[in-house]
Amino acid sequence: MLTAFDDTARAYRSRIYSFARYLLSSREEAEDVTQEVLLRLWRHQDGVDEERLGSWLLRVTRNACYDLLRRRRSDATQALATSLDDEAAPELASAEPGPQARAEAEDFRRRLLAVLGELGEPYKSVIILREVQGLAHREIGETLGIPEVTVRVHLHRGRKKLRERLRETES
Amino acid sequence: MNRIDDILTCNEALDLLEPYVDGDLSPAEAARLRSHLESCPACAAELALAERIQRELRSLPQLDCPPEIVERVRRQGAEVVPFRPRRMGLPLRVAAAAALLALSLGGGALFVRSQQQHQRERAAEIAQATAQARYALALLGRVSRRTGLDVRDEVLARRVVLPAARSISQSLSLSGVSRGAAPQPPVPDRGEQP
Repeated sequence: MLTAFDDTARAYRSRIYSFARYLLSSREEAEDVTQEVLLRLWRHQDGVDEERLGSWLLRVTRNACYDLLRRRRSDATQALATSLDDEAAPELASAEPGPQARAEAEDFRRRLLAVLGELGEPYKSVIILREVQGLAHREIGETLGIPEVTVRVHLHRGRKKLRERLRETES
Repeated sequence: MNRIDDILTCNEALDLLEPYVDGDLSPAEAARLRSHLESCPACAAELALAERIQRELRSLPQLDCPPEIVERVRRQGAEVVPFRPRRMGLPLRVAAAAALLALSLGGGALFVRSQQQHQRERAAEIAQATAQARYALALLGRVSRRTGLDVRDEVLARRVVLPAARSISQSLSLSGVSRGAAPQPPVPDRGEQP
């Protein structure tokens, strides 16, 4: 039982944490949510279908994040780009060769993360699960409890919103 | 942005950019969009932005979960620590209170209804039992009247008639009316007297 939990927790912990981290834009809150979700896994590990375990964990994660966002005070909101700087600086560093191109790429990413952080649901969850986490449309549908075709529609609309808002930030 | 042909406008083209990037368009729709993009630099620039957004999002790192969280959960789970219940928000609390109230009212109504039903059933049972008792008493009375007539006469003779006769006889003898034997009442012979 302990080994099974350890294996599952190790396999999914970063996916859970990362999803919560991008949704909440806060390291501390993402850690709290991850702990809460893994505790639920501990309590329900025998009752969860193995094939749907990943979807179940991400669904629980998303619900826990929603609960937290509802309780959160407005002044506790953090900018996603700022909160990621200290945690993923090497991964976020631009690979552009020249300093000007690098600066432009970093500025673009910063603006993109800013508009992603402000994006509403369900677009934000769908985009994180699809583009950042690389889940298939079917898995996203199972996680969010919506049909695959709806996942595609949300994904297109969400990215279109990002594109439109990025244009607005340019001007 | 301008209208390039009669088939696809810029607004229509802009709506198709993300599905096109994802490869979700049919070959015919994709061809129409490409045709539009070739002659519309503004929409072509939007396509470049849509592709860059997707590239950037896909390059965002999967963030590592601090390993001590799993260790913490394992310790808490092993100690069978109950899951920390989340505090309910106001709407949930109102809903819970409403549910409790509805449950109480419903339960109360059911209880009262059940009591009334119970009382009705008891009244019917009592009425039936009373009728049965009356019938039984009446039957017993009839039976006892038939079987107890002789007993009653005998008792009357021994306890009432004879003492009364003796008393009358004594009274008469004291008053000097007659010194003869007192008149003997007829006593039924039932073989009970020694």
